[in-house]
Amino acid sequence: MELSWEIILMQVIMGLALGAIYVLLASGLSIIFGLLDVLNFAHGTFYMLGAYAMFTAISLCGNFWVGLVAAVVIVSLIGGLFEITLLKRLYGTDQIYPLLLCFGLGIFIPDIIKMAFGLIGKVVDYPAMLQGATFVGNLILPKYRIFLVVLMALVLLALYVFMKKTSIGMIIRAATRDRLMVNCLGINVSRVWTVGFMLGIGLAALAGAVAAPMVQTIPNMGDEMTVEAFVVVVIGGLGSLGGAALGGLILGQVVSFVSLLAPDWSNVSIFLTMALILVLRPRGLFGEEGRD
Amino acid sequence: MSAKQKTQETTSYKPYSWQAILEFRAMWVVLALGLVLPFVISKPLATEIMVYALFALAFNLLLGHTGIISFGHAGYLGAGAYAGAMVVYYGGVGVWVSLLAAMAGGTLVAVLIGLLAVKRKGAYFAMISLAIAQMLYFLALSPFKRWTDGEDSLKLPPLSVDFPFHIDLSDQLSLYYFVFVIVALAVLAQWRILSSPFGHALKGIRENEDRIRACGFDITRIKFLSIIYSGLFSGLAGGLLAIYLGAASITILFWMTSGIVVMQTVLGGTHTFMGPFIGTAVFLYLRNNISNYTDRWEMWVGAMFMALILLFPEGIWGTIVQKIGERRRPSAS
Repeated sequence: MELSWEIILMQVIMGLALGAIYVLLASGLSIIFGLLDVLNFAHGTFYMLGAYAMFTAISLCGNFWVGLVAAVVIVSLIGGLFEITLLKRLYGTDQIYPLLLCFGLGIFIPDIIKMAFGLIGKVVDYPAMLQGATFVGNLILPKYRIFLVVLMALVLLALYVFMKKTSIGMIIRAATRDRLMVNCLGINVSRVWTVGFMLGIGLAALAGAVAAPMVQTIPNMGDEMTVEAFVVVVIGGLGSLGGAALGGLILGQVVSFVSLLAPDWSNVSIFLTMALILVLRPRGLFGEEGRD
Repeated sequence: MSAKQKTQETTSYKPYSWQAILEFRAMWVVLALGLVLPFVISKPLATEIMVYALFALAFNLLLGHTGIISFGHAGYLGAGAYAGAMVVYYGGVGVWVSLLAAMAGGTLVAVLIGLLAVKRKGAYFAMISLAIAQMLYFLALSPFKRWTDGEDSLKLPPLSVDFPFHIDLSDQLSLYYFVFVIVALAVLAQWRILSSPFGHALKGIRENEDRIRACGFDITRIKFLSIIYSGLFSGLAGGLLAIYLGAASITILFWMTSGIVVMQTVLGGTHTFMGPFIGTAVFLYLRNNISNYTDRWEMWVGAMFMALILLFPEGIWGTIVQKIGERRRPSAS
């Protein structure tokens, strides 16, 4: 196959768009793990819920942007409800129990969605203003992919500002370090955890909602994504937002180029990348020493 | 992280404690019940229970006895099933060699996961093992399709054993007893392993890793061996599964297999020896019956599993053991 620079650039953009979804998904996973010490095995399920909430909201109101906001808000609330009613009971037990509870939820919810929406995939349309592509010289730039990359950059910037500059972000960072001390300072840590969990779930839902027009929206679309989000945080280093971002972008490029050159290997390449990074740098790219 | 983690009060069993004796008796009772099982429930279901019970026990070597959260056991079981099936399919060898190959397959994957992840704790190990198992799934699905037949499973001819005497494995009852004898031997072997000093070191690691390290044990080596044993027995279960199914199918490698073995183990009780066996029997029996009434068995399983985690985290057998312990406590202290 002739590899012109146009094709290469095109694959880079495709990879960036795919990477953007990984980044959104994995940063949510990373926040939840860092703060709550809970490995959210239902992360892909919330991603799927985001896509379905998006579909429902758009079919009700007809506007892509309203649908996007509605999807994130609705799914975060579902996540918050789950945290307050069920997950909260298991804090302070062995790490395995919250993990298994999330796993159970991840089996439970897709079946509910199958009952409510059926097995056949739903189609979410691209918004009118982001359909098609723009041309720069010979280069075809699909507008929606560009939008994804911009959205990811904005979300990361917002997250950075939120975590570093606002007081609640400061409390979240402090609680990630030492929950007991933050509690001693008179801050209701349990509420901070709920906020952190909802933030993480909201990011997963956002990933699902923006991915919905590009992929098939089916009840089991989240299964693979849970595993892929794990791979991203293992590459980046668990609990590090920067790591999740870099890991997601790397993985996006790997998948994009391997699908072009050796399509059979595209799924395997994800895990080979992870294995390679684990051999070279066991704690992940930005992983902190001792946090394993 | 270890500072963050609080170990739940666990019902750990000590050598020759009342609990070890109880477990030992329970093991013989369960194995004795296994002798008559195919006359109580259908023969294929009984065989399936035996195979998955061995798998769950092997899995619990890591989760319950060493305290390692593995989500990659589909990889061991699948490697066992494919290794066992492929030597028969391409090599035309007998059943015993096939089972040896299955054990080798499971062990090989365990070495791979062990090398990459043995030093990672908790959630990290869960993620890495899950990812490696998923990699095997995708490898078998497309790049190695030529050898594994991808989504069409690798089908085996009717098998029979000629040594030490002739057993026709296409007969359901003979197949059951063939599987049962191997599973029973493997259960006894695991009991032996766990009663050895090595087995007690495993429990020590589960309860307090730093302290065992301070006692001079080589934690990494012990954990690695534990992963290997788990892979070995899981591989054996995979080989038996391929013989039982008459095929090695790609769904064995899918990560839901790892999830199901976790559920079976927790249902029975992770902090016990026989819990996984009992949990598997109950789980498969229920699944068989629920799926007669509804297509939505995953929903029921998910909901029941969440309830189990919240209400009875020690599982069926674990809760019974705990209750017996509570009753004994006044006289013991």
